[in-house]
Amino acid sequence: MQKIPDRNFDALVTPTKLHRSLYTDPDIFELEMSRIWGEAWIFIGHESQVPNSGDYFTTNINHKVPVVMIRDKDAAVHVLHNRCGHKGAKVVDKQSGNVRGALRCAYHGWSYRFDGSLLKIPNQQGYEDTGFDASDPCYSMQPLAQVASYRGFVFATLSSTITDLVTWMGGAITCFDNLCDRAPEGEVEVAGGVLRYEHDCNWKFILENLNDTMHPMVVHESLVKAAESYIATLPQEAVKQRREAEIIPPFGASYENFENSGITGFEYGHHYDGGKTSIHADYSVDPDYHAAMVAAYGETRTREIYAFNTHNVLYYPSLTIKCAIQNIRIIRPVSVDRFVVESWSFRLKGAPDSMLQRTVLYSRLINSAMGMVGPDDLEVYRRAQKGLECPANDWVEFHRQYGKDRILADRVEGGGTSDLDMRTQYRAWKAYMEQGQQLGKSDA
Amino acid sequence: MPDLAAIEEFLYKEASFLDRPNLDSWIELYTEDAYYWIPATEDQTDPINHVSHVYDDRVMMEIRRRNFVHPRAASKDSQTRCSHIIGNVRIKEQSPEGGLIIESTQHVVVWYLDEQRIYAFTAQHELRPANGSFKIKSKRVNLMNPDAAQKSLVIYL
Repeated sequence: MQKIPDRNFDALVTPTKLHRSLYTDPDIFELEMSRIWGEAWIFIGHESQVPNSGDYFTTNINHKVPVVMIRDKDAAVHVLHNRCGHKGAKVVDKQSGNVRGALRCAYHGWSYRFDGSLLKIPNQQGYEDTGFDASDPCYSMQPLAQVASYRGFVFATLSSTITDLVTWMGGAITCFDNLCDRAPEGEVEVAGGVLRYEHDCNWKFILENLNDTMHPMVVHESLVKAAESYIATLPQEAVKQRREAEIIPPFGASYENFENSGITGFEYGHHYDGGKTSIHADYSVDPDYHAAMVAAYGETRTREIYAFNTHNVLYYPSLTIKCAIQNIRIIRPVSVDRFVVESWSFRLKGAPDSMLQRTVLYSRLINSAMGMVGPDDLEVYRRAQKGLECPANDWVEFHRQYGKDRILADRVEGGGTSDLDMRTQYRAWKAYMEQGQQLGKSDA
Repeated sequence: MPDLAAIEEFLYKEASFLDRPNLDSWIELYTEDAYYWIPATEDQTDPINHVSHVYDDRVMMEIRRRNFVHPRAASKDSQTRCSHIIGNVRIKEQSPEGGLIIESTQHVVVWYLDEQRIYAFTAQHELRPANGSFKIKSKRVNLMNPDAAQKSLVIYL
């Protein structure tokens, strides 16, 4: 195998600048796949995607490594390397489904229990007195180094040394709580299907864009203007009935509004914008939903749950969630200039159907490859991908409000239009790339 | 029996507006209560509780039409052209009032972002008679690969 040359990361990432090769160099991409995606907790899926014994869901944990999430007879959910212990063939090829009895390799028929352990080899006597040991785990479908779930969200990591999932999420864990607490029954489940969107640019652009609040009023101006100018011609009563009229205009919110939403960053690169307020804060509340929430939690706690209103939460590097919309996006890198985004919706258990319907509407309008927001975001990432080939300037800058971040015990807080999100994620990027030397230490 | 040639002629007319694309003329082929749907799974029955690539009523079609020509819509800066080939046109249903469900097989080459792409689908048009021709009450585009990862698409198919 070709050895990837190491880099001096101090020369590539400064507190206010990034070197353009982070987006264009295939060797750096390969290093990211092993040192970030091979180390961090990566989101695999939600337990509700595999409700019954033998239900499975397959994906890649980084750009290449295939894994399968599967539920066993005792209801435990496993994440296994999707590779036969014999000659290495990928065992489960379909995206999702159910297997009865055992997993079976299509090549020589080796079969495995749902926890990955080897069940049977056809014509096994040929292995007698050969030194072959069927109990050696290398002949099983091996579990990932660590697997854990939080409120049904399943993560796995290729690293046996990274800290546990809860510690890794740090203060950002409250956003998972807020998402699930928005269900009267305190649980969410996957519903309403998935959209997959191919992005022909580097995977980091979308992460940088999540809490870049200086772009919406520019990139989405045309949509907001088109919507507002047409909506103005409609009767008031007709507009009130339309949820799009709540969803689209906030994309054109002012710099002041976004500044007030604030950004909060955490160790390991996680961050969110909003909290006290966000572009989702002024959505109307379905009275039936409110009644179900009050019945479950009481008025005070219900108000508390609504009041924590974030826009995008990033669990660096693979997952971004919207608590207030019950929508998540998963980032799946493919190559230095290609990745796929999966958008999944969630049902709030115990809530009326109108809540899922809003989530589905949001995803269709905003996250679809044929939607009204996603294509404009992708277009500006594509232009950055092209423009960064220019040798005239090697740097991407992120000075906004540098030096003004408020450093607290477990988090960093700053203005909503600051580049705090960039500082947060690239501090983690550098620490991962330097092979974890700085991770887990509060050197913020 | 409705005149199949007139129906085909109408589908060609719609395609010719999309080929340019000329959304101002295209939208006039639709009724005020029309829907345009690209489902996200095969045989999808529910556009409300299940996500779709597109599910626009006339209001959203009007917004897209305005957005499509807005000078600051970056995703629309690229020249967009389509080339529709329509075949296998068949009448699936016919109501006593003259309403029709028409199915056709369509291959559309789209020129966008400096590349040519091919979309293959079965189109289902619900047509209403109007002024000696038709209006479209609904159009459903059943992509051959609705659950595949899709690229940005800013034009109706």
